[in-house]
Amino acid sequence: MDDDMRKQPKIACEKIGKTFIQKGSQQVHVLEDISLEVYDKEFLVILGPGQSGKSTLLRIIAGLETPSTGRVLLDGREITGPGPDRGLVFQSYMLFAWRTVMGNVEMGPKLQGMGRRQRREIAQHYIDLVGLTGFEKHYPHQLSGGMKQRVGIARAYANNPQVMLLDEPFGQLDAQTRYFMEQETVRIWEAEKRTVIFVTNNIEEAVFLGDRIVALKDKLPGRMSQVYPVRLPRPREHTDMEFLELRQCITEECVLTL
Amino acid sequence: MNTDAIANEVILTVREKKAFSLLAVLRNEYFLYVVSSIAFVLIWHWVAAEQILGKSLATPYQVVQEFTRLMTVRLAGLTLLGHIWASTQRILIGFVLASAVAVPLGLFMALNRTVNAIVKPVFDLFKPMPPIAWISIAILWFGIGEASKVFIIVIGTFVPCLLNSYNGIRLIEPELYDVVRSLGGNRKDEILQVSFPAAFPAIFAGLQISLSIAWTCVLAAELVSARSGLGWIIVQGMRLTKPELVIGGMLIIALVAWLTTLGVSLLERLLCPWKRYIEGL
Ligand SMILES: Nc1ncnc2c1ncn2[C@@H]1O[C@H](COP(=O)(O)OP(=O)(O)OP(=O)(O)O)[C@@H](O)[C@H]1O
Ligand SMILES: [Mg+2]
Repeated sequence: MDDDMRKQPKIACEKIGKTFIQKGSQQVHVLEDISLEVYDKEFLVILGPGQSGKSTLLRIIAGLETPSTGRVLLDGREITGPGPDRGLVFQSYMLFAWRTVMGNVEMGPKLQGMGRRQRREIAQHYIDLVGLTGFEKHYPHQLSGGMKQRVGIARAYANNPQVMLLDEPFGQLDAQTRYFMEQETVRIWEAEKRTVIFVTNNIEEAVFLGDRIVALKDKLPGRMSQVYPVRLPRPREHTDMEFLELRQCITEECVLTL
Repeated sequence: MNTDAIANEVILTVREKKAFSLLAVLRNEYFLYVVSSIAFVLIWHWVAAEQILGKSLATPYQVVQEFTRLMTVRLAGLTLLGHIWASTQRILIGFVLASAVAVPLGLFMALNRTVNAIVKPVFDLFKPMPPIAWISIAILWFGIGEASKVFIIVIGTFVPCLLNSYNGIRLIEPELYDVVRSLGGNRKDEILQVSFPAAFPAIFAGLQISLSIAWTCVLAAELVSARSGLGWIIVQGMRLTKPELVIGGMLIIALVAWLTTLGVSLLERLLCPWKRYIEGL
């Protein structure tokens, strides 16, 4: 941790605030004073209840929204828009229904103007990595929810981003599949380390995955409440004493801040 | 049972075979198709032969007889196939003309505010007018030749073609564009990789609706003024009090309209292999 402090952060959010103007010029204050730093190859989890501005924060880091106040830096340079250096995995999959698994995964390299053979090779590598070998020619509607999100992850990875942004990627899955996909996420991340920002509303998921957990306060505007370093060795077990203790601690404090 | 398993997620691919039984045969949908079709023809024959609805209903046999006769005997210089082709040709020309203009126009309107602002007021004025209302003006402008019939079809099919391609783009989930942009794409990529392919099924739905409207239009036009076509055959049946000609004409229209619809469906299946189709209907 002390080591990390001296390094330049990969991503730095500086006092980010966001206010939306909805129909009828009604203002919605969604984020306030978010300052956080994510270090290279770190797995950061943003933990917050529903409607606390998590997606908005991730979209700002992705460059899809501009912050109303503050700024986001990537390697010290201000982010002004979306770019292939950040890969986004969506809460509701957002696969291209008209493209096969291969067609979806190769989209990033294709948009970068890469030749067909080369991008197929890259896409195949990531399809294999997420465990979808043999499903290259399937269309999204032929896949289960967990498999769809595997495609979403492979598609983001295939663009070789420095930072992976995952927005409640397993929110729509049943508990068992979700548990399994969390293990897969760790396996994939350990196979190809990237800086990861993972958004969730699930405390157990946060403790299982994160190197560090940033908890957001309940109610809008979303503000940071606590940062928890997770010093548990990997692979983690949901039933370890230390795991349960940390989970308990976060749960209590989250309840307190409500 | 055959399964594709990936990790702990399982997808069923093959249904279990059902055991053979008489009840299963009686319930089999194809068996029921045949039974209900035969029953329909028998009831039709009985109603016509017993003259339950008066003399103006021909039996199925009379209809078939009349039309085998028309395969060789000419009516107004054309055999039956000639008349079928006359109507179909009008449809195809009008349909191709209308969709070639309306589909791209609808796409442009959905993608570009300026185009939308220019076209929409005019389009909104014409949208609610029933195409049949144009018949008189078509005859005034183009006479009673081919041009007026094609004109009616163009008018009638233009609206659904345009509306469907317009809505096809308007109803796209906006986050799909975010995917393209976060993968490093620009506006051109958004349009080529998302707008067009996502609108495809809606465009085809518009073409299907247009096709059935086109048949309505061509018939209406032929009933009013024509010397050929299936609508004209029906008018002849009416003038000569030959119900077999009227009913036969109606059946052939149903058949040909179904074939043209089938053609568009096949084209769609070819171009949209990702679409899930509702079976049956
Ligand atoms: N483009 C927008 N325009 C107006 N308001 C918006 C917009 N995007 C988000 N909001 C508002 O911001 C609030 C927070 O939304 P956000 O999706 O960031 O929360 P979240 O924490 O991701 O919620 P969830 O857990 O449901 O995914 C919502 O109440 C929503 O109404
Ligand atoms: Mg969200």
